Amino acid sequence: MSLFDSTQLALETALRGSSMRQELLTNNLANINTPGYQRQDLDFHSALKSAQASGVNPTEVSFRPTTDPTRTVRADGSGLDADQEAATLAKNTLEYQALVQVMGARTMIMQVAMGVR
Amino acid sequence: MGLFDAIDIAGSGLTAERLRMDVTAENLANAQTTRGAGGGPYQRKEVVLEQAGGSAFGTMLTGAIGGVRAAESANGVQVAAIVEDNSQQRLVYDPAHPDANGQGYVAMPNVNPVTEMVDLISSSRSYEANVTSMQSAKQMFTKTLELLR
Repeated sequence: MSLFDSTQLALETALRGSSMRQELLTNNLANINTPGYQRQDLDFHSALKSAQASGVNPTEVSFRPTTDPTRTVRADGSGLDADQEAATLAKNTLEYQALVQVMGARTMIMQVAMGVR
Repeated sequence: MGLFDAIDIAGSGLTAERLRMDVTAENLANAQTTRGAGGGPYQRKEVVLEQAGGSAFGTMLTGAIGGVRAAESANGVQVAAIVEDNSQQRLVYDPAHPDANGQGYVAMPNVNPVTEMVDLISSSRSYEANVTSMQSAKQMFTKTLELLR
């Protein structure tokens, strides 16, 4: 058994996905007044889930941002809803922090086991 | 994709919204200007924003080789142009005005203060939205750095 188990590796991958998603959501908010803008998002949850189901090493999961060309909610052709974007952004930030927290706790356990702390 | 890209993207949004606010302020300031830069009354200006990104070629090439990274597709926002609004000017009857025409009408700028105020609110709120996303990105990075303690 390696030092980092699959949970730790999955956590790392989720962290990577979450930070990529944060970038996309920030980009959406920056383009809030761009006419015809199509919102981008990243569903890293299902990418990770399907990788785990098929037994792929979590570190080898590559994420692919998606654009939604069908969605139009505004008269200028933009598919952005400011409130929804802000809420998704807040949610993703919290999720990222939760992931970091869990990762930190697991590292701590390992450190205690190794007698470092 | 770098660690601080989200902050740069939010920064591009701040720049764009600030420019939008500047242009709106200029429109409001010149709402009564009958002698604009082009000789006639002041023309209302408007900012056109576009999604910032690499060249269309770069985007297509990345798509062709199947490597879509967030950094390629998410680069923030940029100002495409500041265009003049060519809508009808307001004609105000004021024979005493030095710029009045033969019939006593003065061509006033096509600036509607109500529209400008709404634009001002819109850019101010969008600016705040970008500040929020910048703050949450900062929070995330701070949290990550705590892992090293």
